[in-house]
Amino acid sequence: MSSVKSRSRNLIGVFMAVTFLQAGAEEPAAATSLYSVVDGYKVDSATMKGFRAWRAGACDRCHGANQEGMVGPSLINSLKVLSKEEFVKTVTEGRLEKGMVAFKTSKIVMDNMDNLYAYLKGRSDGAITRAKVEELKP
Amino acid sequence: MRVTFCNLALPLVLAAAAGVTHANSDVERLTADPKNWAMQAGDMYNQRYSKLSQINAGNANKLQVAWTFSTGVLRGHEGSPLVVGDTMFLHAPFPNKIFAIDLNTNKIKWKYEPKQDPAVIPQMCCDTVNRGLAYAEGKVFLQQADSMLVAFDANSGKVLWSVKNGDPSVGAVNTNAPHVFKDKVITGISGGEWGVRGYVAAYNINSGDLVWKGYSTGPDDEMLIDPGTTTTWMDGRVQPVGADSSLKTWKGDLWKIGGGTTWGWYSYDKALNLMYYGTGNPSTWNPAQRPGDNKWSMSIWARDVDTGKVKWVYQMTPYDEWDFDGINEMILADIPVKGNMTKALVHFDRNGFGYTLDRTNGALLVAEKYDPTVNWATHVDMKTGRPQVVSKYSTAQNGPDVNTKGVCPAALGSKDQQPAAFSPKTKLFYVPTNHVCMDYEPFEVEYTAGQPYVGATLSMYPAIGPGKTGGMGNFIAWDAGTGKIVWSKPEKFSVWSGALATAGDVVFYGTLEGYLKAVDNQGKELWKFKTPSGIIGNVFTYEHKGKQYVGVFSGIGGWAGIGMAAGLEKDTDGLGAVGGYRELNQYTDLGGSLTVFALGN
Repeated sequence: MSSVKSRSRNLIGVFMAVTFLQAGAEEPAAATSLYSVVDGYKVDSATMKGFRAWRAGACDRCHGANQEGMVGPSLINSLKVLSKEEFVKTVTEGRLEKGMVAFKTSKIVMDNMDNLYAYLKGRSDGAITRAKVEELKP
Repeated sequence: MRVTFCNLALPLVLAAAAGVTHANSDVERLTADPKNWAMQAGDMYNQRYSKLSQINAGNANKLQVAWTFSTGVLRGHEGSPLVVGDTMFLHAPFPNKIFAIDLNTNKIKWKYEPKQDPAVIPQMCCDTVNRGLAYAEGKVFLQQADSMLVAFDANSGKVLWSVKNGDPSVGAVNTNAPHVFKDKVITGISGGEWGVRGYVAAYNINSGDLVWKGYSTGPDDEMLIDPGTTTTWMDGRVQPVGADSSLKTWKGDLWKIGGGTTWGWYSYDKALNLMYYGTGNPSTWNPAQRPGDNKWSMSIWARDVDTGKVKWVYQMTPYDEWDFDGINEMILADIPVKGNMTKALVHFDRNGFGYTLDRTNGALLVAEKYDPTVNWATHVDMKTGRPQVVSKYSTAQNGPDVNTKGVCPAALGSKDQQPAAFSPKTKLFYVPTNHVCMDYEPFEVEYTAGQPYVGATLSMYPAIGPGKTGGMGNFIAWDAGTGKIVWSKPEKFSVWSGALATAGDVVFYGTLEGYLKAVDNQGKELWKFKTPSGIIGNVFTYEHKGKQYVGVFSGIGGWAGIGMAAGLEKDTDGLGAVGGYRELNQYTDLGGSLTVFALGN
């Protein structure tokens, strides 16, 4: 959705900490205070940990492998409206009546809450263009 | 009610099969009367066949709606109501409301809504389904999602007893229907995606006391396996499993979180006194973490109904790499197999192979693909009983963090729990199938009790490769004596309903768009009707005041229907997780009702 991409470029302009361009890259690199991504799928190590927590929680079973929504809502949309605090509360305590697990006893999810938020925000922003990410080589 | 294990001492001598007495004579009498639909499968053999013939191939096109009933619950409606005499007993998905309806007046005689902790809902991997009630001796039995097994007085709805069958805090919840065989109500457990160690348990129908419990993995005495007398198919013959047949196939203590859950449909042969069922996937979905055959996950079991002792067991998919749960129904039928009249057990496994075994001793007779696109194995070696895995489609050989592409069938199998039917008239099986393939990427996960323990991400899409139809399901007729598809009727979506065969030479099934369809014995469509929502329930039939009725629940859900997406984004990178099922929302939305049909006047 082109409107999302142009919005993320505006966000980059506002939040930009470090940007760099690579010759031949399809996407310009994006960096925010939350995440860094190159080519749309190479991310910093913290965001990579967030991806691993996403996998460990088996979140795709309800939210879709691309966060697009299945029986659970689209996280592409949800991360646009939830505050960070609301996100943390929802993941920690679940939404039991709607079928969402309370992840408070999952060490990998709780230890990587900020990283998970960064990964999902990157997906929602459209800066991370695919679900499966790889770690940026140093 | 506290449950004790003091009566689980393993008998020193296996009870001789010949010494067996009667099936539950009340249930036997009720199922012999075709006016009733007194068990989930119609009978103890899982045949889903009715002797009623008022509706036949000549007049089925005149079927009309006779009456309808809304359960008041949305989400996936699996199983079917029961009919005993003038009363119909219905159940629903979570919170598992149940109703007794007087068929003379269509009034609700009694109803009951369990109080269950909503924390159970997230523990249910694949929708909040319930596969239905059991009936015996004036009692109705409900297996609740929260693992409580409850007995009710069928006339008044009064609770007679209740017993806790599992531990929801570790993900041990229930979706299966209980089954009454003899004086026992038998139930299983779910949670293979939570690392739950599977078992079946038998409770006394009068008291709810635990009579026996047999695990799927671990020490021999906990599985109720006798190393010298419990047999399996190996090296071309039936032979004893030997000591530690499960323990030897697991690394360390992983059998304790080993899966092998038991949420399918069970059957019973009273002459042999054996009950039959299958076990589900080993935990996790990442095979690299659990090297070994992972016995006895993915297996067909025969247990003595009085003691739980295992007579024979056969593993269909050793060291599973694709989540091909073995829980699908075990259909008992006396059919010719390769020229010999055989007391057969027929099973359409998730892994795409239709198996025929001798149910007296577990001898493997036939194992053939019942969908032409099945590609993860070339064939089953009939001597060893083991499938010959194709490396390209081996998620273990390709390794963790590698997306293994184009595996057929998908994890939900060439057939999932939706049960097939058998016609003693045609000697054929009528099978609702899935025609779906997948990409599957395993990855490492850690176990935490009560948290999902999955370890793979997948995407599923309409079948690819030679034999593909372009659709996602077929309704087929199968000859289990030869292992051949006799005819195949393609459908746009997976056929996720239970089938019904009748002496009127009509076979019924329901579609995910919501059509109830009638076909003749050659698969020609006779009639269809669009019910309020997609069908994942089982078609059933009964007679009341001289008129034959056919009914089915509507209410999309279950694993196929769980992809009823809300506001999907565009697929990216071809990894559309919902794939072809996404189109379902052009045909149906959620629902929850029973539609009953009869011939017009």
